[in-house]
Amino acid sequence: MGYGRDGMYGWIWRHLPGNAWIKALISIVLVLAVVYVLFQYVFPWAEPLLPFNDVTVDNS
Amino acid sequence: MAVSVLGELLITAGLVLGLFVVYSLWWTNVIADREADRQADKVRDHWAQGGTAPGGPGALDTGDGIGFLHVPAMSGGEILVEKGTSAKVLNDGVAGYYTDPVKAVLPTSGKKGNFSLAAHRDGHGAKFHNIDKIKKGDPIVFETKDTWYVYKAYAILPETSKYNVDVLDAVPKESGRTKPGHYITLTTCTPVYTSRYRYVVWGELVRTEKVDSERTPPAELR
Repeated sequence: MGYGRDGMYGWIWRHLPGNAWIKALISIVLVLAVVYVLFQYVFPWAEPLLPFNDVTVDNS
Repeated sequence: MAVSVLGELLITAGLVLGLFVVYSLWWTNVIADREADRQADKVRDHWAQGGTAPGGPGALDTGDGIGFLHVPAMSGGEILVEKGTSAKVLNDGVAGYYTDPVKAVLPTSGKKGNFSLAAHRDGHGAKFHNIDKIKKGDPIVFETKDTWYVYKAYAILPETSKYNVDVLDAVPKESGRTKPGHYITLTTCTPVYTSRYRYVVWGELVRTEKVDSERTPPAELR
């Protein structure tokens, strides 16, 4: 595999352009983008599938 | 090599689960409270402009907001009440009255029956989070455009099956009542952070009070 010794995050780090500061900046943007996608799309989709928040009584 | 990727995946999964907890218990409250405030303002504005009773002409722009629930024992301020108990309704940080499986009887109808409500215990506004703080004798007040409906809690069922739809009956026998009356039923999930069981509080109408021009709250809320 192409991940080398450092795992996938190391692989991503090595493939980001620029010096360490620019790499760090891009990394933060990537992390924020992932969190955004999770909060905006993934979690709202997953939540009803999990049995944590049913509050009504019903027959089904 | 493979081990380090696996380790990273495990760490990532842990972080995502942690984020999900943050989302469930914090972020959903932020957006639900925002939405509830917006809809509550709409209802208040509509009332101030002399709008008609819910269901009448012009009721559309209030969403299905029909009034506000005030439970001093739960604190946390007023809770907007809307029609329906689907996730879509309740996720806006409001309480919903049942339309299914047992239809709620609205106090505004004047008929005897059960005004049955549901709201979230955690997340999405968590409007019934402190339902366990309600004790027998505590007031539960429902505010509409023209009337304060003052109920008094008289029975509590701290744990019941989620299939126990009988608690919504017009005459909820489990509460100990056998005759028709003006009842209110609050339902939510219990224990906190789960949906295993349901928590039920019953109240009955003590009196009604006309809303005056200053909307002075009834003695129970002062």
